[in-house]
Amino acid sequence: MTAELFCRGLTKHLGGRPILQVLDLDVKAGEVVSLLGASGSGKTTLLRCIAGLMDPDAGTITLDGKMVFSDSQTIPAEKRRIGMVFQDYALWPHMTVAGNLSFALQSQNLTSGEINTRVEHALELARLVPLRNRHPSELSGGQQQRVAIARCIAARPSLMLFDEPLSNLDAALREDMRTEMMDLVRHEGLTVVYVTHDQSEAMAVSDRIAVMRNGILAQFASPQELYDCPANAFVAGFIGGFSALPMADFATGDGYLVIRPEDARPAEANLDMVLTGRITARAFQGRCWRLTLEIGNTRVKIDWPHDVSVGQTLSFSLPADRRLIVKH
Amino acid sequence: MTATTRQIHKAATKHRGLFARFFNAGTFYAAASTALINVVFFLLIGLPLLLVLMQTFFPDVFNPNNPSFTFSLGPLGRIFVVPRVYFAILHSVELASLVGVLATLLGGAFALIVQRCDIPLRKSVGFIPWIVFLTPAYLKTVAWVLLMSPGGYLAEFGLLPPLTGSLFFAFPGLTLVHTLGLFPFATFIIGNALRGLGSEMEDAARLGGVPLWRVWFKINLPLLAPALALSFIAIFAQVLSDFGLASTIARMSNFGVLTYEIYAATSSYPIDFPLAGTQSLILLSLVTIAVLVDRLLRRKDDLKLISGRSRPSRDYRLGPWRWVITGLAFLVAFIALFLPIGAVIIRALTRTLSDGMALHNFTFANILEASNVHSLAFAALSNSLRYASIASLISCIAAVLLALQLEGPGKFMRSSVMSLALASVAIPGIVFGFGYILMWNRLPFFKDSLFPHYGDASLLITGYIGVAVPYALIVVMAAIGQLAPSLNDSARLFGVGAFRRVLRITLPLIAFSVLTGFMLNFIHIMFELPVSQMLIPRTESPAPIYILRLLNYDKDGLACALSLISMLIAGGAALLLWLAFRWFAARNGAANNGKWISTPSLAEDVR
Repeated sequence: MTAELFCRGLTKHLGGRPILQVLDLDVKAGEVVSLLGASGSGKTTLLRCIAGLMDPDAGTITLDGKMVFSDSQTIPAEKRRIGMVFQDYALWPHMTVAGNLSFALQSQNLTSGEINTRVEHALELARLVPLRNRHPSELSGGQQQRVAIARCIAARPSLMLFDEPLSNLDAALREDMRTEMMDLVRHEGLTVVYVTHDQSEAMAVSDRIAVMRNGILAQFASPQELYDCPANAFVAGFIGGFSALPMADFATGDGYLVIRPEDARPAEANLDMVLTGRITARAFQGRCWRLTLEIGNTRVKIDWPHDVSVGQTLSFSLPADRRLIVKH
Repeated sequence: MTATTRQIHKAATKHRGLFARFFNAGTFYAAASTALINVVFFLLIGLPLLLVLMQTFFPDVFNPNNPSFTFSLGPLGRIFVVPRVYFAILHSVELASLVGVLATLLGGAFALIVQRCDIPLRKSVGFIPWIVFLTPAYLKTVAWVLLMSPGGYLAEFGLLPPLTGSLFFAFPGLTLVHTLGLFPFATFIIGNALRGLGSEMEDAARLGGVPLWRVWFKINLPLLAPALALSFIAIFAQVLSDFGLASTIARMSNFGVLTYEIYAATSSYPIDFPLAGTQSLILLSLVTIAVLVDRLLRRKDDLKLISGRSRPSRDYRLGPWRWVITGLAFLVAFIALFLPIGAVIIRALTRTLSDGMALHNFTFANILEASNVHSLAFAALSNSLRYASIASLISCIAAVLLALQLEGPGKFMRSSVMSLALASVAIPGIVFGFGYILMWNRLPFFKDSLFPHYGDASLLITGYIGVAVPYALIVVMAAIGQLAPSLNDSARLFGVGAFRRVLRITLPLIAFSVLTGFMLNFIHIMFELPVSQMLIPRTESPAPIYILRLLNYDKDGLACALSLISMLIAGGAALLLWLAFRWFAARNGAANNGKWISTPSLAEDVR
């Protein structure tokens, strides 16, 4: 049921602008990979190319050992066996929950017994049995999302795509639904490509994260690797609220010093790397204060154990093993 | 397949519509289906219009004795020579301009009091423009003739001094009746803009100490200017295209306007097709200018300040004045609606106009005759019902097929067809009718056609379809445009084929809009006058023409009874259809104006 995905040299232009630039992406069977990037980075275009809803200009896509897109052949979206949870869930509003699930299966030449079995299994898995006769308009946002996932699970796709599925939910519900959604996916052992612009969401759901920038992969690594060793200042800036301070200030060559907020220590703790800046903003975060300092022309965020007034100067240091220097 | 052939195949696939994908018959089918659609549109709308224009510049092209393609500007020159023609142009522009201003003011006032004032009975006042809009125009025209003529009802009650009656059957009367009939257009356009404007910008200015009157002149009115201009243009175009008032009050007043002069040139002896063509060209040019200005205004960036999204607004407190304002609104409703409809009802229930409302004058004879299945009046009514059903059904099916076909091609093609449809709606019916006469009575091949055949109901129905398709297309395309692409994409990903996607996803979701398009066209055709007048079949004439004939023979009682019964049957049929759809939708979960009919929600309990 689960499949490997290989994208090679994918290129796509829209309106004369390059959206994907000779991009490679490998996803192992059963792996959850997130495409993380800002708006316009090409993540949704990549997802739609994989789904077959859009054709790349060049490159190849191989799914489950079968070429689904290349210069010589294109397998249409309806024959790729790919499930997708859309940002707006795309539930057919005139069909009930059970109708949404079974309609998707009726085109697969399955017996009615098989369709019923699959629908029941998916409804049960997604805890939707009591809601089976409801229409989508009668469901809450979270319930609608569960229907969208159950619909994909019932179809048993070889690959499942998620297009920012949590963006329509409020903050409180988002975390619950994220856990619930990934439990379902992991339970079924599905291969997943997950699009999001929220780094904390990507960190929480993924085995690996592909950070995208201007149609290329800026870094493709596990959440921990991304955290520990961001490949460049862009990735560092995108992950976890890190700050990147130009190294020219320190006369140690080109590059940026990555400052993770939680690594800041009192100045006297590491006298060989003391940084001083003026406080421009402060916010109480429960266990600490998140301070924003201006060092030269760069804004740096650090976590500090006590409050410091705006306008004051503050010196802090970084431990030797937490000093990471990256390229632009 | 080589890379080049694949590119060609891909390009062709991109431009194939639904049917090409369904039948999978390659580019040939795609080209054939597109060509078929273009041919049908050309025959229904393009060719008749082209012939009208040809007639202007090649006046002898349809000369039965000596046809020739000699180019001549002679017919155009007659604009400046024949007083009847230039007066008709002046009268049309003069009337359309004044009514444009007055109806915009009246409609704007209605919009303002309904949207922004704390008046009592606000919902009822808001409903007034809708009822006026839905009442057939020529019914109101007939009513005004009954009310204002020297022996009419108002004179009977002593409410109409003799001088007023003669003034009414002239420019002032035409202006009044048009203004009272068309102000709802302004209410809808300006009301929508007011909703989008909200009162945030006004509040910001008032907090800065700017007095209210200045806020209106410096902020609200400049922001509403595009909507006011749109309203003026829409009403201007409506007045230019009108044939109902032109053939009744305007004709009785000797106030010639373009639409009636076109009809007169094609129906009075000697028939003067070149003159009708020239007048049609002028009318079309005026309407085209109005449509172009409308499109330009809609594209203007300034309009983005006022979006379709509702913004919060605060009501003006009018104090005791609110009762006065509400009273005035109901006075307008009385004059624009209740008075004319009342006059038609009374005339339908009385023997003669001159005996007025004397008790002995009341009778059910007119109603009984109009509803007698063996009477000519009832035959005309059943003809109209038949024509309206057939033409609305065919136009809706054609619109759905065309809209689905346009799902494949790019945005440009869709917006081009939408613009064409919008422009076609603005074409005056009288010009359409004239074009059909030229095409089916004079053009070789077409004039010998057995179906549709000139002088038959088949041609009248074809004309109705030509008028109705653009309306249906606008409604259906707008509905398809509202569907999120992901609904179709998700079905594709589950392996659902193109035909099944249309049948199970698209059609159920646009069903309500298709039905709306059908009902609008049905009612419109039931009361359509200009095309009916130009393409009257030798036998089986439709109700509007029979009603006009009755009026000409002073059988206005029967005419009013037939009008009333037509309105009740058309409205009743539309209501029944709508109720049947609601019932069907409730059982099957189909669309109801974008909402979904379902059993009472228990979602909150589960949450």
